[in-house]
Amino acid sequence: MVELVPSLLRQELAALAANDQRIDGRGRWDSRDITLETDCLYNAEGSAKVTWGDTIIYAGVKFEIRTPWPDRPAQGSLMCGAELRPVAGRKYEPGPPSPQSIELGRVVDRGIRESGCIDMDSLCIIPGEKVLGVMIDIHVLSDKGNIFDACALGAIAALRTAIVPAERFDIGEDYPLAVSMTPTMCSFTRVGGRYVLDANDEEELGGDERIHITLGDEGHLHSLQKGLKGTFTPAEFDEILGVAQQRCAELANLVNSKEA
Amino acid sequence: MGGYGDVKLLREDGLRLDGRKVDEMREVEIEAGILPAADGSAWVKHGLNVAVCAVYGPMEAHPRKIQRQDRAVIDVRYNMAPFSTSDRIRPGYNRRSREISKVTAEALESVVLVERFPRSKIRVEIEILAAEAGTRCVGITAAAVALADAGIPMRDLIVGVASGKIEDTVVLDLDKAEDNYGQADLPMGILPTTGEIAFLQMDGDLSFEEYNTCMEYNLKAAREIHVLMIDALKRRYLEKNGGEA
Repeated sequence: MVELVPSLLRQELAALAANDQRIDGRGRWDSRDITLETDCLYNAEGSAKVTWGDTIIYAGVKFEIRTPWPDRPAQGSLMCGAELRPVAGRKYEPGPPSPQSIELGRVVDRGIRESGCIDMDSLCIIPGEKVLGVMIDIHVLSDKGNIFDACALGAIAALRTAIVPAERFDIGEDYPLAVSMTPTMCSFTRVGGRYVLDANDEEELGGDERIHITLGDEGHLHSLQKGLKGTFTPAEFDEILGVAQQRCAELANLVNSKEA
Repeated sequence: MGGYGDVKLLREDGLRLDGRKVDEMREVEIEAGILPAADGSAWVKHGLNVAVCAVYGPMEAHPRKIQRQDRAVIDVRYNMAPFSTSDRIRPGYNRRSREISKVTAEALESVVLVERFPRSKIRVEIEILAAEAGTRCVGITAAAVALADAGIPMRDLIVGVASGKIEDTVVLDLDKAEDNYGQADLPMGILPTTGEIAFLQMDGDLSFEEYNTCMEYNLKAAREIHVLMIDALKRRYLEKNGGEA
């Protein structure tokens, strides 16, 4: 579906930006309110619901027993996928996975994978024969902007509360999945010429490029992604990275507060 | 319906494994208007099942070949989330979800006043987040509440309910074990005000008398769930109007 608003909206956003204002009255580095619920879905081994302003997503963790990759016989695997189904908004159409949903899933996946928070060796059951596969599926139910940060938060929260169903697989007693770190994502969108944190749907519609930063413990960078048309300067990046350092630590605290 | 007879589903005292009486349904909770991006939405928890439904429209129907000159088309998608079952489901449409989507759409077309919106489309997106037998019924209930929340005119709500047979006994609202090892399942979409039936499927083995008992149980359950649906919509209406009726 074609969105008809952007050119008028762009003018309005530019006028607001000139006075250092945002369309919903927030400050430039203010986030919308976030509610995180964990262990909220029967049948998922770990689950989280994130309500991020008016954006709503669910993340669920499932495990499977599989044969290891030939080049890594003693390592398990991790997969993270996101679905932008038509339930999420008027603009989403049914069909095979869109480039947007693939990018979303892969950016969230990289942040978690590259942080090393899951020890792949610990997922090995019998080297060369049996390993655990960890699958994180993210379901976007209501897209009102910044689904990236909401999905990344849901994914790590679901992972951190996941229980390996070892009894069902006949490999001993159920145990909590070991997750050694809490990587979180912070996204910035260029709106009216300057970057803002946590753009809402209108700001995304009338905005330009976006930058996604995933930071782990101690503020280390684990994944970066620039999306959509536009460029930025190193000075701009330094500024948003500073904001991300602070914000990611707050998000990690929120996730860690949910652990059993 | 494989392997019935070898799993005990009724206790010595005549109650079911989860302690329910034969004509007792699982607990149901309903919320209307939970998805800000949608024109209308609903959340239904039925036992351990969780379904969420979003309604978009009426909107222009495209591609144009799906347009009907005299009425709206209802485009239903029933989908199970990959994490909704004990073994992960591969994302995407399969034969089962296509069939359920089709018959659900036809059931909803029987209650929505589709002739009010020629050449348009109403999108109904049913997402099953947790599944424990009876998800198509929960999806129908959620769809009806979401359509009403979207302000789409309907001649009645529609309630999804099911009865079936376990150990030669008719029971209301099968849970997972009863569905897997039972002898019959009869899901229905019932118009609670008139008692008409807009959705019907069945598999297994039922005598005529057993069918009648199922029907009686389904009607009873539909009336109970109807009260909860109306209540959820009223709460939503009060919320929208700042608490003023």
